[in-house]
Amino acid sequence: MKNMTYKKGKFARRLARIIGPWQIALIGALLAGFMATAYAGPREQAKRIHDRLAGVPPTDAVLQAMENQIAGGDAVGAAYTAMDNKYFYNVTLKNFAAPWTNRDQSVFVPLNDYIATVIGMVRDDIDFSTLLSADLTYVGRSGIVAAAPAANNNNHFDQLEANNVDLSNTNDFVAMPQSSILGIPSSATAGVMTSRAASEAFFVAGTNRAMFRFTLLNHMCNDMEQMLDTKLPPDWIRQDVSRSPGGDSRLFLNNCIGCHSGMDPLAGAYAYYNYNEDTGMLEYTPGNVQAKYYNNDLNFPQGFRTVDDSWENRWRQGQNAYLGFDNSLPGSGNGAKSLGEELGNSQAFAACQVKKVFRAVCLREPENAADRAAVNTITNTFRSSGYRMKQVFADTAVHCMGQ
Amino acid sequence: MKTAKRTATYSPLATGMRVLRATAITVFASAVLAACGGGAATTDNPLTQAPPPGNAPYTGPVARDADVLKFQQEFWSNAKTSDRCGSCHNEVVGQTPMFVRNDDVNLAYDEALTVVNTTQPALSRLVEKVGGGHNCWNTDPSSCAAIMTTWIENWLGSSGGGGRQIILTPPPSTEPGASLNFPADTAAFEATVYPVLVANCAGCHSSESATAQQPYFADPDVGTAYDAAKPKINLDTPANSRMVIRLRSEFHNCWSGDCSADAQAMEDAIAAFAGGISPTTVDPNLVTSKALRLVDGTLAAGGNRYEDAQIALWEFKTGSGAIAYDTSGVDPAIDLNFSGGVTWFGGWGITITDGKAQASTTASAKLYDIIQESGEFSIEAWVVPANVTQEEARIVSYSAGTTQRNFTLQQTLYDYRFQLRTTTTNLNGDPALSTPSADEVLQATLQHVVATYDPINGRRIYVNGSLVTQIDPVPGGTLIDWQREFALVLGNEASGDGLWQGTIRLAAIHRRAMTQEQVMQNFDAGVGERFFMLFDISENIGAAPESSYILFEAAQYDTYAYLFDRPHFITLDGSTPEGIPIRGLRVAMNGAEARVGQTYATLDDTLSASEFGELGQPLSSMGAVLPLEKGPQDDEFFLTFDVLAGNSFSRPADPTLVVTETDRPPSPHVGLRTFDEINATYAEVTLVDPTTPAVDMTYQELRQSLPAVESLNTFLSSHQVAIAQLAIQYCDAMIGTAGSPGPNLAALFPGFDWNDNSEFSNNRDAFVNPLIDRIMGTNIGSQPVRAEVYEELASYQDPTTAVNAEGESLDRPDNLIDRLIAGGSATRSIGKGVCAAMLGNAVTLVQ
Repeated sequence: MKNMTYKKGKFARRLARIIGPWQIALIGALLAGFMATAYAGPREQAKRIHDRLAGVPPTDAVLQAMENQIAGGDAVGAAYTAMDNKYFYNVTLKNFAAPWTNRDQSVFVPLNDYIATVIGMVRDDIDFSTLLSADLTYVGRSGIVAAAPAANNNNHFDQLEANNVDLSNTNDFVAMPQSSILGIPSSATAGVMTSRAASEAFFVAGTNRAMFRFTLLNHMCNDMEQMLDTKLPPDWIRQDVSRSPGGDSRLFLNNCIGCHSGMDPLAGAYAYYNYNEDTGMLEYTPGNVQAKYYNNDLNFPQGFRTVDDSWENRWRQGQNAYLGFDNSLPGSGNGAKSLGEELGNSQAFAACQVKKVFRAVCLREPENAADRAAVNTITNTFRSSGYRMKQVFADTAVHCMGQ
Repeated sequence: MKTAKRTATYSPLATGMRVLRATAITVFASAVLAACGGGAATTDNPLTQAPPPGNAPYTGPVARDADVLKFQQEFWSNAKTSDRCGSCHNEVVGQTPMFVRNDDVNLAYDEALTVVNTTQPALSRLVEKVGGGHNCWNTDPSSCAAIMTTWIENWLGSSGGGGRQIILTPPPSTEPGASLNFPADTAAFEATVYPVLVANCAGCHSSESATAQQPYFADPDVGTAYDAAKPKINLDTPANSRMVIRLRSEFHNCWSGDCSADAQAMEDAIAAFAGGISPTTVDPNLVTSKALRLVDGTLAAGGNRYEDAQIALWEFKTGSGAIAYDTSGVDPAIDLNFSGGVTWFGGWGITITDGKAQASTTASAKLYDIIQESGEFSIEAWVVPANVTQEEARIVSYSAGTTQRNFTLQQTLYDYRFQLRTTTTNLNGDPALSTPSADEVLQATLQHVVATYDPINGRRIYVNGSLVTQIDPVPGGTLIDWQREFALVLGNEASGDGLWQGTIRLAAIHRRAMTQEQVMQNFDAGVGERFFMLFDISENIGAAPESSYILFEAAQYDTYAYLFDRPHFITLDGSTPEGIPIRGLRVAMNGAEARVGQTYATLDDTLSASEFGELGQPLSSMGAVLPLEKGPQDDEFFLTFDVLAGNSFSRPADPTLVVTETDRPPSPHVGLRTFDEINATYAEVTLVDPTTPAVDMTYQELRQSLPAVESLNTFLSSHQVAIAQLAIQYCDAMIGTAGSPGPNLAALFPGFDWNDNSEFSNNRDAFVNPLIDRIMGTNIGSQPVRAEVYEELASYQDPTTAVNAEGESLDRPDNLIDRLIAGGSATRSIGKGVCAAMLGNAVTLVQ
């Protein structure tokens, strides 16, 4: 316990000021002393559900109500009771979505429009398959904080977070068309992909492939390596991809081609988007392919040259067809919105949301047949009942509430 | 041979942008393509030079016209010397044809025309002879062929008008056949050919040899040896294997003294290896074209480079040995000797991994002599940097060490840099001119880079045809300070401490500063050997035999791949088939479709006369990089189609991945609260507003020191410290001071008097019980036993002598409150301490 007795830091000084220096070690000795036991009746199950969903312990009254619901056979109802707590939105959902909004996948980022949109869509039971295609965002009601939502800064969301505004409050935290804030046509919006936060993180500089890769990572639960399929035709791989990196084409033929052959045809959808670092805004240039699509175009002039924002899903064939794309959709199109529909309506998208919720609520991966069966069941329910994420949280919390 | 073919002027550009211009449709037996159209106009004459000493001065009649004069200047004066063709083919020795006779240059000209192909100089009889080893004046016949080609090109170049022409002739009609392919596993090779190689060739062809000589087909590592041996083995005809020919016909280091027997032993070993391989047979259901090899195609390379001021040229065509020949045709040749890790690159080039290619100072002095006179020059190279991390890595350097140079083109990270010694720079050529770092123009891929200098414009660097440098900040000077004793080095510093890793596919020095147009011309000309390949599909579409083809421009792309570029449908009989569908074109090799790189698999087109241009109907503007298997001499290509005219192939879909999930090791079903959850939890149970400045400030400072993920395994002692600090801050805010008590304090602990200093001695339960219930909850079986918690905080007294059943001492400290009282703390301080102990532990941390 010696490492608990800080004697020089400012926190130690503050602590000493509060309770006297010599007691610090005594208190520290008690800090980790209490261990939980492994019994789980309805009251314990209610406690766990509340802890996992709201992130905070329930009050006695709420705990009693949830216990009664569970004892009465309505564990899902108990989970919905837990989700009435504001911290389900202000903490659990915020930190659920925060890593999706930056390249480092850090949870330590300020509240932003991407996170806010996720929180709002969950709260209001918005069809979550439109996450990547809707013209939708969530903001604080007019006047609740000083800064209005803006296309060129995050001040509004910074202030919502700093002021601990209750995001469960439907009067204070409301839906808005994303297009009305960002100043782009509604047809150019693509849910969180065209949010300001995602634009800043993934449309900045580069070649816009980052937007696709991180969308795949965050919402299809696969990174590019898992998608590697060298059998696909490489005719849509852009000119900037060297076919002989460092003079060795084996690298291209065994590795690069396997990802780019699928990614580049899909990332064509972003051809008109760019995040302008000078203005701090998302740029949308309909009809004009962003210059970044021609970076290093002499690396392989015989490669694909982007002429518009068309895209094509090559993963509907071959090994990656297991992602389960919707056969009622064409599998090709123009622009980010239709790409978002293609991804959002896939089996992989739905399963990914459920797996992420499972991780957030059960604090682990599905580890056995029972867990996998639960994930499948919850996924099927999610897809067949309007893609309501609260249902997923509730069903998952019940699965992991203990016995 | 067919009739009524088409003629076009064609510039085979590396970049895919091509310029075509029609000429007359008059050729009878073939489609004729000219290889110089579209190039920039040239103004300089090629460098002429005095013949080497020891040859009799010419005293015969003057050239009768401009063509003969050009012949005399560019070809005859070079070839007539006694160490070259002049040793035999003149009137003194009398060997016919006497194309270098010294008595009458006009007669020599007439004779030379009989052995020169004026449309394709590279196909001249003269080139064929020296290239075949006929009295080549150095050790590499291919370099003699290149030099001879250069002389002929210089002679014919500017008088040719439309440039040299390429004639497309129907290739041999060959059905795709079963093919023996190298197995992936080395076992068979190791059991058959490898022992012969190790026993007899490891003295040189091994990386472990003191006289290591590429290729390392006798390397101790069998995998390395196998890869190196493949290009030298012909599985279909073992006797044609390079390893056998080298022994049988070229008597290369026969080990027994009987080359024939050694060759037979090698052939037998290869035959045994090949005999164990099952041939790959062509799927009879495929719709296929006829087959051909790369080398069956029509040569498309070269000829339209701007070379008039070129004084040194390395094309690296030799492919073996340790010398790269200067084939500029300008004497003396600056031949480069390899040392260290320098290997040949497939499709022409050298790869430098840890060595250099250096010329003698004597030969290098050609640069000094010529450039001192011109006062300007250009360095040109096609390079593939191995990476973008190397610094001060010399690509082309004319220098003596790290501090002395005439010029150097080098790489530093993403930049090309050009150092040049003039009267306005220092002896090391500094300050260097660099490409703009922010633009990252240098990429680890094939690039054309040209560095030019003239006193007016100073230094300039062009990359891929574009000028990428700003105005040279250093004013132009003269080159009078150059040293004649420096050596030209590629890939390193002369002293060996400026290694550049990468591949050089061509390098050249020009005695003039190239213009933008000239740079672009050479960039457009590309690099490496390219072929026009005609895949016969006449039969498939019901056309006349040997009339209808898919035309590709194909090349060996690097050591491991081919590039097939821009397919066209072309007819050699002038016909224009109409309405024929072509879908799903794939390139097949050695009996099977290439497993990767099928760019044209999505092709969907219909033949239509309206789409026909001079090269027929373009099918795609894109290129396909396909893996090399046996090498350009042996790989047999053909095309397959999903649909071609009335023929179709029902291609089975690639199987979908079946993901089988397996059980994971059981993991804890409980975890940690994370940072925001901890903060919110403390706020909830203490009823302290988390935006309270003191609390919020502490939290923001501690936020990233608190647990960030839920896994129990990630919990650190530093987390515990942060938790303690935050807990104490919340408890401080909850209790407050006498003057400013916490806003909810009275409601939380209604029966507790905070102003009574003996309250914890007399009334501790009024504080402890609500505190425990609020933080831990009530009647929750998954929380610690309440009585034990209470005991730790408020009631336990050390029995000092008590022991348990095992006789172990139960001696431990008294409860926390009594210890704090004994320490003399005030009521509020004790309350805060007890609160912090209760708040900052597993009761709230574990969820």
